Amino acid sequence: MIIIGEKINGAIPAVKKAIQEKDADFIRDRAIKQAEAGADFIDVCASTAPDVEVETLKWLIDIVQDAVDTPICIDSPDPFFLKEVLPFIKKPGLINSVNLEKIEGSDQDKCDVLFPLVEGTEWEVIALTCDSENGTPRDVETRVEISKKIIEKAATFGITPDKIHIDPLVMALSTDNNSLLNFVESMKQVKAIYPTVKFTSGLSNISFGMPKRKIINQNFMTLAIYEGMDSAIMDPLNKEIMGSIFATEALLGRDKHTRKYNAAVRKERI
Amino acid sequence: MNFEMLTQAVGELEDEKALELLKEFVATNPSEEEANKAVAACQKGMALVGDLFESGEYFVGDLIFAGELLTEAIDILKPVLGSGEAKKVGSMVIATVHGDLHDIGKNIFKSMAEAAGFEVYDLGIDTPAQAFIDKVKETNAQIVGMSGVLTLALESMKDTVEEIKEAGLRDDVKIIIGGNPVTKEACDHIGADAFTTNAAEGVKIIQGWSA
Repeated sequence: MIIIGEKINGAIPAVKKAIQEKDADFIRDRAIKQAEAGADFIDVCASTAPDVEVETLKWLIDIVQDAVDTPICIDSPDPFFLKEVLPFIKKPGLINSVNLEKIEGSDQDKCDVLFPLVEGTEWEVIALTCDSENGTPRDVETRVEISKKIIEKAATFGITPDKIHIDPLVMALSTDNNSLLNFVESMKQVKAIYPTVKFTSGLSNISFGMPKRKIINQNFMTLAIYEGMDSAIMDPLNKEIMGSIFATEALLGRDKHTRKYNAAVRKERI
Repeated sequence: MNFEMLTQAVGELEDEKALELLKEFVATNPSEEEANKAVAACQKGMALVGDLFESGEYFVGDLIFAGELLTEAIDILKPVLGSGEAKKVGSMVIATVHGDLHDIGKNIFKSMAEAAGFEVYDLGIDTPAQAFIDKVKETNAQIVGMSGVLTLALESMKDTVEEIKEAGLRDDVKIIIGGNPVTKEACDHIGADAFTTNAAEGVKIIQGWSA
């Protein structure tokens, strides 16, 4: 399971404060703790006003790559900001994210802007199943259609499916009864065509508006891993959810003699 | 017809009981005035649902269910409500602003505002300022609701308010903003009249404007 640590995001009040006060120690500490907890990527998202977003991202990037070797998952809603900060990241990481919506006032989508930079590198990319025609579809057929288009577009830049993490944007269970089932079916259908493509998801959408969300999140994690989810954007310091991951992987025979599980307990990660 | 019992059944989301009460009521061939009282009783029940949501007793799934229940209730009452539709409390244009695609919160607010008797014109997601302006002109809505989850939605909200000003409509409408990133400061910066991160509270605010 590939873990994308979500704790450096300006949308989190404590991080927002650290950004405003230029508290580098706070950010550094979050990077180190997530790396120690087993994050494979560290998401870096400014969530500031657009006019200071690029400088904020650069500041965060410098702190994180100085503190840890874990690659960065660079996160912005603006593809041009991503393009601008990418050269400052030393180690190839993950781009969060592209989709097929036309960018306002142009004929291009985020793939057109960012795929040329990924071409010929080790960078990976998160792709959301949205386009201009369908917005954010919840049905399987449209999600599969958009996934195929993105993967085929990537191929024209020499980007192979294993570098793409499809995020089908899981709906809230309280508003969509078949949310998990549709996620699983979308994943199965796309993987039937492109077996090496990766699927990812945020963890908290599924439980939006429900009480005791942790229970739903943990069980979503278990079922999604069982059905083939490859990565997740989540809090690696959350011992309960990490426990679900280690236990599920062991139960699925991916942890010989359950030694990873044992080690995680020993190191108090779960 | 025991209207209090109906209010209670709606408030407690006892759908079978509420719908049965309404069916029995309609079978007595009530006057239009009586039928409107039944609508009011259902809306009172919805207000209870809103309160229970606010106090943390109900959750999003309960709210959505309440919206569906109210739609069914009105459908049952339609034959006895006469040709004149139930009088609307007020009308509003809502949408997720430009650059943002999130709509769960907006949709919940919409169903609750409709349940409270508002005519709601929903423009969907990623909505440019001009679409708000066109719809306000077309419908003479008194309220504009802007929703968003991303931080960048705040800038879109500000731009939308600016354009509403430029179109000369700012004094004709009250503006409420909602969603995860909205705060008192953001509300002042944007130039909106009110803000909320809670659909039930939002409905109370617009009810205050329409009283």
